[in-house]
Amino acid sequence: MRATCSLIRREFAAYFTGPIGYVALFGFLVLNGLLFWLVVGLLTEKGPRGIEYPMQVMLGGAENPQDVLVAGVLFWGLFPAVTGIITSRLIAEERGTGTLESLLTAPIRDWQVVFAKFVACFAFYLLLWSTTLVYIPVLADLKADWQGNVTLFAAMLVVGILFIGMAKLGFWFALNGRLVLLLGVSGVALAAAGGYLHATYDARHLVHLTWNIDARPILTSYLGMVLAGAMFLALGLLVSSWVKSQLVAWMLSLLLGLGFVLPAALRWQVDSGSDWDALVYYLSVPEHFRRDFTRGVIDTRPLVLYVTVTLCCLYLTVRSLEARRLR
Amino acid sequence: MIVVEHLTKYYGEYHAVRDVSFSVEKGQVVGFLGPNGAGTSTTMRILAGFLTASSGKATIGGKDVFWDPIEARRRIGYMPESCPLYGDMRVDEYLRFRGGLKGLSRTECKKRIGYVLERCWLKDESRQIIGTLSKGYRQRVGLADALLADPPVLILDEPTAGLDPSQIRETRKLMRELGQMHTMLLSTHILSEVEATCDSVIVIYQGQVVEDGSLAAVRQRHKNKPLEDIFVQLTGQEGI
Repeated sequence: MRATCSLIRREFAAYFTGPIGYVALFGFLVLNGLLFWLVVGLLTEKGPRGIEYPMQVMLGGAENPQDVLVAGVLFWGLFPAVTGIITSRLIAEERGTGTLESLLTAPIRDWQVVFAKFVACFAFYLLLWSTTLVYIPVLADLKADWQGNVTLFAAMLVVGILFIGMAKLGFWFALNGRLVLLLGVSGVALAAAGGYLHATYDARHLVHLTWNIDARPILTSYLGMVLAGAMFLALGLLVSSWVKSQLVAWMLSLLLGLGFVLPAALRWQVDSGSDWDALVYYLSVPEHFRRDFTRGVIDTRPLVLYVTVTLCCLYLTVRSLEARRLR
Repeated sequence: MIVVEHLTKYYGEYHAVRDVSFSVEKGQVVGFLGPNGAGTSTTMRILAGFLTASSGKATIGGKDVFWDPIEARRRIGYMPESCPLYGDMRVDEYLRFRGGLKGLSRTECKKRIGYVLERCWLKDESRQIIGTLSKGYRQRVGLADALLADPPVLILDEPTAGLDPSQIRETRKLMRELGQMHTMLLSTHILSEVEATCDSVIVIYQGQVVEDGSLAAVRQRHKNKPLEDIFVQLTGQEGI
């Protein structure tokens, strides 16, 4: 356990001690910023034109107008490249520089190594997506009006937030660990309970929020992105265990990743309703987002695909590391 | 402490290690000699658990390196050949990471890091980025890592390769001190080093053990010739 945590910490920190993390962040934010700019343009346009599903445009699924389609194709074409940048160094770099030898001779099992590396790159992937959370209030045209009705539940919320802040400060200055933990946990509990009760039971609120798009498609879109990302990352990790060069690992993982993206282009070629259509739908991640996740639908078929491919790839990665010893 | 029985390793068709058997008693310092490509590194990698033997058996402190790899690896401090390190980490960060990997608790880790930094003369370099260190210092970091969990057995693959004469002398002094506390198996090409630090030697040639015994016994068997002559004779390159 301690060994796994130590490895996770190192792998995650390694994204920031080298250029790779910043490259991935830059590429990702440029793509997302472009899509965001297009959505905001469409949402604020005057006249009869508008959009039905803002998240569909955000995740590159809309087909008109033309520039949105182009941006969407760009987004999905480069998505496997971004996940490839994150994963390609994980094992390939260690093989290239020979550090794999000191890692694999430490008292840690192969599956722990793979698990730790996967968790680290997945955490970095979540960090990438968490930067896009700042777009959401803008998309939703969030407005907060001060009403100033202090109730018991509102007070609970405020005290909870204060506790969290104090815990954070205590953590910063490395004060008594138990006290900080107690403050943090009780703060989170108070804030969550107070916030929920305040929002549902109280007739008048401390702050009145207005929110102009449906919140659930946002949640389902993020759910889909988290799981689809896990699949692409596991694929990249597997490829990274095959080769010594990061560049080759990146190109191979891009190629394999496109295997789950390009079938989306076939949807214009096959009859809808035929068996081929079902197959093409099953394999094309952009279609899952265009049809389901961004419209607030949770379809279990893509979720099963993502989870099984992830688990299969991680299993094969463990075997591939083991096979190196027998070479 | 180290028992190797009929160890064999094939790389595809290539027979790298052929039926090697030897044992190292507790507290001994053994020089593991052989020309390049003789199978010394392969044997050490099998002992450290990086490679798996094609057949045969090896145990470290009674733990089989194949059937009980985690326990066997806990008993070993291994320093690979040419000492690969993460160039983007600082020395103390690296040692903290390795300490965690070897299962040391935070306080234990802190204590051990202080000790190994002192031991390997790295005190002033602890905040250096490893990528900027010279070869000698990198070697010391590798040695510090091997010592970190205070393992009973040290396996060092060419710890003095590529060092300058004063660094070699320094490292040799360290080896001699460590030899009093740990069981040590070290490979090297510098025979004067073997004479200075080791109790006994094992010579391996073309994947087979050709000489095994204490320094005095080996000398006696070869009519008190210098170690270098014995080595050249055993590895079949006498004309040189």
